[in-house]
Amino acid sequence: MRWLAHLGLGILARFGRAGESVTTHAGGIALLVARTAKALATGQVSMRAVLSQTYAVGVQSLPLVTVTATLSGIVTSQQGGYQFTGSVPLYILGSVVTSSVILELAPVLTAIVLIGRVGARITAELGTMQVSEQIDALYALGRDPIPVLAAPRIVAGILAMPVLVGFANGVGFLAGMIAARLTVGLGTEAFLYGARMFWHNWDMFYSLMKAVVFGFTVPVIAVHMGLLTRGGAEGVGRSTTASVVFMIIAVLVMDALFPPLLLN
Amino acid sequence: MIEYRDVHKAFDLPVLSGVDLEVHDGETLAIVGPSGTGKSVLLKTTIGLIVPDRGDVIVDGQSVYGSGPGTLAEVRRKVGYVFQNAALFDSMTVYENLRQGLPDALQKSLGGQEMLRRVCASLEAVNLNPGHVINKFPAELSGGMRKRVGLARTIVGEPRIILYDEPVTGLDPVNSAAVERLIRRIRERMGVTSLVVTHDIEGALGYCDRIALLDRGKLAFVGTPAEFRQSHTPMVMAFADRTAAANFSVQMLDDESHGGPSESWQNGAETTRGA
Ligand SMILES: Nc1ncnc2c1ncn2[C@@H]1O[C@H](COP(=O)(O)OP(=O)(O)OP(=O)(O)O)[C@@H](O)[C@H]1O
Ligand SMILES: [Mg+2]
Repeated sequence: MRWLAHLGLGILARFGRAGESVTTHAGGIALLVARTAKALATGQVSMRAVLSQTYAVGVQSLPLVTVTATLSGIVTSQQGGYQFTGSVPLYILGSVVTSSVILELAPVLTAIVLIGRVGARITAELGTMQVSEQIDALYALGRDPIPVLAAPRIVAGILAMPVLVGFANGVGFLAGMIAARLTVGLGTEAFLYGARMFWHNWDMFYSLMKAVVFGFTVPVIAVHMGLLTRGGAEGVGRSTTASVVFMIIAVLVMDALFPPLLLN
Repeated sequence: MIEYRDVHKAFDLPVLSGVDLEVHDGETLAIVGPSGTGKSVLLKTTIGLIVPDRGDVIVDGQSVYGSGPGTLAEVRRKVGYVFQNAALFDSMTVYENLRQGLPDALQKSLGGQEMLRRVCASLEAVNLNPGHVINKFPAELSGGMRKRVGLARTIVGEPRIILYDEPVTGLDPVNSAAVERLIRRIRERMGVTSLVVTHDIEGALGYCDRIALLDRGKLAFVGTPAEFRQSHTPMVMAFADRTAAANFSVQMLDDESHGGPSESWQNGAETTRGA
């Protein structure tokens, strides 16, 4: 009986600690967002830093986004083609591919690319600056790391993500169309007919909304985790891994929250 | 003037346990003490890089922890900090690093030419050739050069108060002497108040007005170099002269060998001594 109580308490304590760390992170992130907003509102953020970060985020991610978008188009096209054989008119495939890519696959896969290519880099970069006292040095020189380091990266994510997702939508759509012709023999005309039949302009807006939300979330978490880093090279490794896990979960959870909030 | 009032700080173990110290205007005060006693922590509490658990720091009459965040910003503008490991921005060249030491408003009013002149003057002051280092990245410099660039980055903004964390550790004798000359000259020419943490006691006794010994979180001694040399406190004697230091550390080993926590290490030491 005693050990059962022990076990129960242990599990409770673990949940308690997890809850505690969730609230600490939430508090830290809220503070970071507030300080970033203030830095932007008071004009402390250099436009040049924002532009160079946006360029870096966009250009750095482009090759991998092309690959993931192409594959997402091809895969949905093949998958749909295989399932539809005989039961549903094949031109519906045009609509299935288009909406899967635009509503779901392009935003989420692009966010995953952003996490791997940009988010991880931001955490490692700021984490290294933290453990080598460069962040302290900024404070000591009367500078604030929020306008100098955090704000340009966060704004860059918000600006670059919609462009990347828009690009991924186009690439995924084209790849799906070509794959449909090559694998199940669905002609371009029929594919486009199907795509147009169920098209809502709202879909594109929805897709870009996701892009903005992910483009904001990923760098915010990355910066937050970077500035929390303690303890040398090992600490940087630890916080980078934790940050990637955190960003992936955040993106997937938010992706799941989107339909109930916006699709009815 | 800097006043530390009953400053306490603990991490896992207590580090500072009640430090009271006044550094007067225009004075150079050296802080010495064993490694790991909290000298760097004490310096960091001055500008809020580490927040004390208890106590306060008063800089020129302004309480760093008793007033709003505006005070902290003001204190940071006034106080220059030389980091123990230089803490250079490694994504920036030496020139850009030093430019960070000049406030933005000042940068605008100075213009590029005058800014470059100031940066070069600061580099020369720490015995670096501007032509050689100005466009290099920190990773391309030696440890001693990085240390001096860090010092140059602090003095370029001409702060009224400078906190030096081991400015000469790791420097060759020529460059150590240059840095010591610099500390003395800054004080004489501009009346800067300096607080210097150092392990180089002989050097410090040459340029400081007063010297303080921090031991196990408390100040064990504060006084002039002459008083320091004459003190009979065992710890001060150990720090004031090398032979005493050698005896002192042997004595400490003997004390600890009566069952300390690091048993295996002591056994090793004893075997060596026996051999
Ligand atoms: N940010 C921190 N987090 C946890 N512990 C710390 C931190 N900074 C310092 N400490 C601890 O405080 C103690 C004092 O450290 P400090 O760096 O002030 O020593 P020091 O007197 O400057 O030593 P040295 O002469 O070797 O530079 C050490 O035991 C160190 O482990
Ligand atoms: Mg130190």
